Amino acid sequence: MIEVKEVKKEFKKTIKDPGLKGSVKSLFHKNTEIVKAVDGLSFHVDEGEILGFIGPNGAGKSTAIKMLTGILTPTSGEIVINGQIPYKNRKRYVKEIGVVFGQRTQLWWDLPLTETYTVLKEIYMIDDKKFKDRMEFLNDVLELEKFIKSPVRTLSLGQRMRADIAASMLHSPKVLFLDEPTIGLDVVVKDNIRKAISQINKNDKTTIILTTHDLSDIETLCERIIMIDKGKMVYDGSLHKMKDTYGKMRELNVVLNDAKDIGNFNIADKFNFTDDDYSMVSQGSELKLKFNSEKVSIASMLDYVLNTVNVNDISVKDADIEEIIRRIYKSEVKLDENA
Amino acid sequence: MKMLSKIKKIYGAFTRAGIQDAVAYRASFLGFFIGEIFICFVMYFIWRAVYMSKGDSSFMGFTMTDMMVYVFMSNIATFLVGTDATYSIAEEIKDGSIIMRLIKPVKVDLSFLFFELGNKIMIIVCIIGPIIFGLELYRYYAIGHIAFKLSRFILFMISISISYILSFYLNLIFGYLAFFLMNLWGFNILKESIIKFLSGSIIPLAFFPEVISKIFTYLPFASLTYTPVMIYMEKYNGYTLAFNLFLQVFWLVFFVTASRLMWKWAEKRIAVQGG
Repeated sequence: MIEVKEVKKEFKKTIKDPGLKGSVKSLFHKNTEIVKAVDGLSFHVDEGEILGFIGPNGAGKSTAIKMLTGILTPTSGEIVINGQIPYKNRKRYVKEIGVVFGQRTQLWWDLPLTETYTVLKEIYMIDDKKFKDRMEFLNDVLELEKFIKSPVRTLSLGQRMRADIAASMLHSPKVLFLDEPTIGLDVVVKDNIRKAISQINKNDKTTIILTTHDLSDIETLCERIIMIDKGKMVYDGSLHKMKDTYGKMRELNVVLNDAKDIGNFNIADKFNFTDDDYSMVSQGSELKLKFNSEKVSIASMLDYVLNTVNVNDISVKDADIEEIIRRIYKSEVKLDENA
Repeated sequence: MKMLSKIKKIYGAFTRAGIQDAVAYRASFLGFFIGEIFICFVMYFIWRAVYMSKGDSSFMGFTMTDMMVYVFMSNIATFLVGTDATYSIAEEIKDGSIIMRLIKPVKVDLSFLFFELGNKIMIIVCIIGPIIFGLELYRYYAIGHIAFKLSRFILFMISISISYILSFYLNLIFGYLAFFLMNLWGFNILKESIIKFLSGSIIPLAFFPEVISKIFTYLPFASLTYTPVMIYMEKYNGYTLAFNLFLQVFWLVFFVTASRLMWKWAEKRIAVQGG
């Protein structure tokens, strides 16, 4: 379905010396620097798969999406989607994809929402019956009914996002690209949108590529994630596997009967921990202890804690995906390409 | 034919959206209309002063009545061929929202053109009838007989339609410069004044020294407003008329081709701003 091979994208960036002097200088002479936004990305996506793209700001996610949607031409490498090369014949290619850029809108700002769909109907040459069926389905999934007659500028962000997703799905595209579809939305709306996305995926067998900063998006939607950093792929695989491989940190939440007991802990010496292997944060009688479960089993850590202090309440938390990603971003976790 | 009906169907949707969009902002249109009429009268009084001080009734083949018709017609023409193409596309390039057009199976230039057409149609219908009627009424009182000819009006409409599309593409090319310059404000002002001067919308090109006036009439800018107005005023007849219409079409083809080539070149080198 989607085949990406060794794709690179380089930009020329103008560097200006600081201050007024630099501004004057840049009028006559421009220093440029090559920035590698995407640096050798290769992957394959099957039909009907939902793939999550994650990475810190400026990692190259958006550049990658823009190449996949045919807006940008790669500096080198090859992309084949649906048997077509996105940047070769843009007009033909985009007929079969749907795109949502969470930070922008494709809706007509001053017109009632329904007019956007009418224009799209003509653009994609959808016949009346199919259009009606499709609108019904999207209405069902995204609940557009309440605001479909209102001008787009009066919609709330959540409504606008739903309307935008509907607009990108009207022509039943084979591939759907969602660039931060839940950005700036509240928890309830996020949840609704996730449900809609997974329903669309099930109903149409749409292949979905999604970028996000919200890890709950990933947890609820994607079986597979690709993590990129500085334009390079740092992880490709299932979320589950990532948790297994990198999620060796466990979190212990302890409530003590007596806050003074905290002084009794001497974890570093007891288990031979380095600073990377554990962290301890305490607030009053509550204690948050993170530790490397590869070095010390949960059982022996629990044992130690229960024997050292007088515990009122205790709970163990599973590998926290945000924590894993934070560590990968900070390159604390050594990444093994074959992992 | 099939191709044409496809274009009509797809881009007709943009035109209809443009009409509805214009209706949303009808108040600003009223202000614009009053402003334009006001400027026409200012121009009229300036030229009246020129004629009165000269004492002659005719200057370079233009009588005082001709001048009045010229001032109003060239203002209508300037308005009709006026386009926001430079600004609209430059703005979308600058803030990166041009990508929302790129993800749709439409030609970027046509989507802008047909939307703007829809945006203008209402205004054109509202403005052109009353002004021409008022103008011809004035002409009737000044020269004693009706000078309005339907055939001339139709030729004028054909010529001005070519002018509009030409003007659109000329401005679009300017807008594409935003890919490289990112901010067009200064250049745009320069462009506007050059066009105003060379298209004859301030001073009729016939008033320039003969050689210069000849050169100016061959330039694409004369095709914008001068040609349609001269056609309406029956200053162009027979061979001159045909030649000038041909010149308009020539420049149209030239600028459409140039803009398409430029877009092709730019499309591969897009660096999308932001996000």
